[in-house]
Amino acid sequence: MVRSGKLHFWSWPSELRRNGITGINSRNIDLIFPLNPRSDYALVDNKALTKKLCESRDIPAPETYALIQRFGDIKRSIDLLFGLSSFVIKPTRGAGGRGVLAIASRRGNEFNNAKGEPFSLEQIRYHISTILSGLYSLSGQPDQAMVEKLIEPHPVFNGLTVSGTPDIRILIYKTKPIMSMLRLPTKLSKGRANLHQGAAGVGIDLETGITYGGVWRDRSFDVHPDTGASLGGVTIPRWRNMLTIATQLSCAIGLQYVGVDVLLDAEDGPLILEANARPGLSIQIANRCGLQPRLRETNLKLGLS
Amino acid sequence: MISRNRAAILTAVILTVVCAMCAWLRIKYTWKPVWAHGSGAWRLTYDTSFSSAKGGKIQIAIPDSTSYSRIFQETFSHQGIWVDLLRNKRTRGREASVVSMAGHKRGRFFAQFDIYLKPDQQSKLPAAEEKLSANDRAYYLRTEKDFQITSPRLSDIMKQLANQQKTKTELLSHIFNYCAENIIKGEKDTFSDAANTLEHGIGNTLGRARAMVTLCRLSKIPARVVAGFILENTQEAQVHYWMEAFSPKKWLSYDPENGYSAQLPITFLPVSRDSIDIVRGPDTLICQSRYSIRRLLPPNSFVSSKESRLWSIVDLTRLPPSMQEIVSLILLLPIAALITTIFRNIIGIQTFGTFTPSLIAMSFIHADWRTGTIVLFIVLSVGILARWLLNKLQLLMVARLSIILALAVLCMVLAVSVLDYLSLTPSASAVVLPIVILTMMIERFNIIAEEDGLPNALKTFATTILVAACCFLVMKVAWVGRLALIFPEVQLFNIAILLLIGRYSGYRLSEIWRFRDIT
Repeated sequence: MVRSGKLHFWSWPSELRRNGITGINSRNIDLIFPLNPRSDYALVDNKALTKKLCESRDIPAPETYALIQRFGDIKRSIDLLFGLSSFVIKPTRGAGGRGVLAIASRRGNEFNNAKGEPFSLEQIRYHISTILSGLYSLSGQPDQAMVEKLIEPHPVFNGLTVSGTPDIRILIYKTKPIMSMLRLPTKLSKGRANLHQGAAGVGIDLETGITYGGVWRDRSFDVHPDTGASLGGVTIPRWRNMLTIATQLSCAIGLQYVGVDVLLDAEDGPLILEANARPGLSIQIANRCGLQPRLRETNLKLGLS
Repeated sequence: MISRNRAAILTAVILTVVCAMCAWLRIKYTWKPVWAHGSGAWRLTYDTSFSSAKGGKIQIAIPDSTSYSRIFQETFSHQGIWVDLLRNKRTRGREASVVSMAGHKRGRFFAQFDIYLKPDQQSKLPAAEEKLSANDRAYYLRTEKDFQITSPRLSDIMKQLANQQKTKTELLSHIFNYCAENIIKGEKDTFSDAANTLEHGIGNTLGRARAMVTLCRLSKIPARVVAGFILENTQEAQVHYWMEAFSPKKWLSYDPENGYSAQLPITFLPVSRDSIDIVRGPDTLICQSRYSIRRLLPPNSFVSSKESRLWSIVDLTRLPPSMQEIVSLILLLPIAALITTIFRNIIGIQTFGTFTPSLIAMSFIHADWRTGTIVLFIVLSVGILARWLLNKLQLLMVARLSIILALAVLCMVLAVSVLDYLSLTPSASAVVLPIVILTMMIERFNIIAEEDGLPNALKTFATTILVAACCFLVMKVAWVGRLALIFPEVQLFNIAILLLIGRYSGYRLSEIWRFRDIT
């Protein structure tokens, strides 16, 4: 593992301020409270609602095979699964990638996930029922399960993927993309692309779509912690398109400070995964740069003070 | 945004001012003594005249306010002397230090103390626990001229007591029983020293107090004689003697003559501790002291209980002692929440939930911290173990948590039973409160363990305990609880600080570590 930069143990608040770093208190007080009305959270907290919004506005998102709302729907959905060889089952209110079951292939009645572990139809049925009873939703309230098309990660990410699907977080402030990063699942994150669960992040230049920088476990990293492949210098395909759909979604939701997660499918190109009303701050470490200069720049562009 | 900050600061300032005003009004108006049925007021008068060698310094012990009595007025007048009020270095008792003026051979010290006794229920507040330094302990175990004896009779008594001895407290009560039963009350001119009193089984009030002090000291229990007065109408008040023994963490009072043990009636007014003389001076001192005690009519400066009824709503100290304890604990909760808020929003330490650390600290206060810690470890290890086992069965969350609760309860009950078997029964509240709060914590622990992995959950658990420990240490300090009870308006100030923290948009302390790689 190669860490970049010299080792130091803290940065003085004055140094952080000079670099325009936004802290968590400032994110809440200066960005989230004034820009994101609580009533609009429902749209991002429930993935089924986000997806419905995408469909109504023609914003590309992974194809939904089924939405299972009641225990009575499970049997009908299972019949539907027989026609498919790959799919993803996920809870609509799950957070941090919990409860996501990705089936990559199927032989007869036996399904296999991406790692090749076998799943029987009975196990899948049980998984759906645990989602409905709220096992993966925060605070345990009853939930719904979504069956979606399985994303085939774009080959550009081949050297950077151990398991799971990488995604791209685009931070949007008052309808303008201000920062973005590529999120790469690691062994530590168990295939999930969530930075605080141990995924790696790489900054993306907004103009060119080329990666640079990198963060893993809140420290600067230049290479993928598992594969050792260089994180920088990767050109994200269809970058402009990706920024466009993320911006479209943010306008549709109405939140003014939002993190949109986009997947890059090998066939379908950029697809909306979900949106987040409280995007994390590690994106600043991935980009090796603070948010504040970008917020100011955007305000200037929009003619705001 | 700026207007919101301004509004928050303005509200905080207003709240602080209101808090200060409430406290001021309280001190000014509600702290007048209240005259209720059962209250008493007494006037103790000292009239001491003496002639002393030139430059001789004389100490006169004078009464002080206690938890159940208050000196609401005192007047001093003196002739031919300088008077200075001091506190005794060791016993912290009040003393008037008297020095003769040049050219005056004789001096006269005259003092009046008006003492208010609270209605009787308040006197049952237990004596405050204190710590005795090694130095003081040795001092109160010393042998002195009037105490030391080496007679066969005494060794008999000690042997007899030693046979019955189990704990220090039991030994103390045996010693008291011996001094109260086996020593006959003698007239004033009978023996007043410990040796003869024990030897002959007869002594005056001082002899019996000294006898008990001697037996205590020989049994390694720190003890001292107390001189004071019993408040009753009399022109010629006699100095009465009793004793105090330190066992195990506080001074307990015993009066072998009147048969009071561990707790004296509130009419016993201690004046001088560890010294039998109210007036002490050089050997050349010739002194004549007269004391008189008179009951007073309710003084005008007192508020009648009828008048005070409305005011008393805001005076929480009028509540019964058991209720006071709970109320002050509840009043401490928001202060613990403030500590948690500081840890989370300014330092940046994560905890399970917002109130969990405060609740853990509260349950530990209400229980004792040892029982609390045992409960903590049982509940936590059962929680982790059960989670690990039940994960294999893939149970739904509510059912799984209920099973963990059932197992934790089972282990707790077993532990209580084992402790009881070993004669170490913990109090009931010591078990119930922590188990409820900790089982709640197990739920949060499991959610984090599932989302972010076990190491993260353990880390958050450790920081939760750290924050809880800080809350505990603050809540444990007796005067903090007392302050919260006497001045409930402190909560307004607490809210003021929380308002400011709530609008604090600067960096958290943890962020100078988190973002260290950017600069």
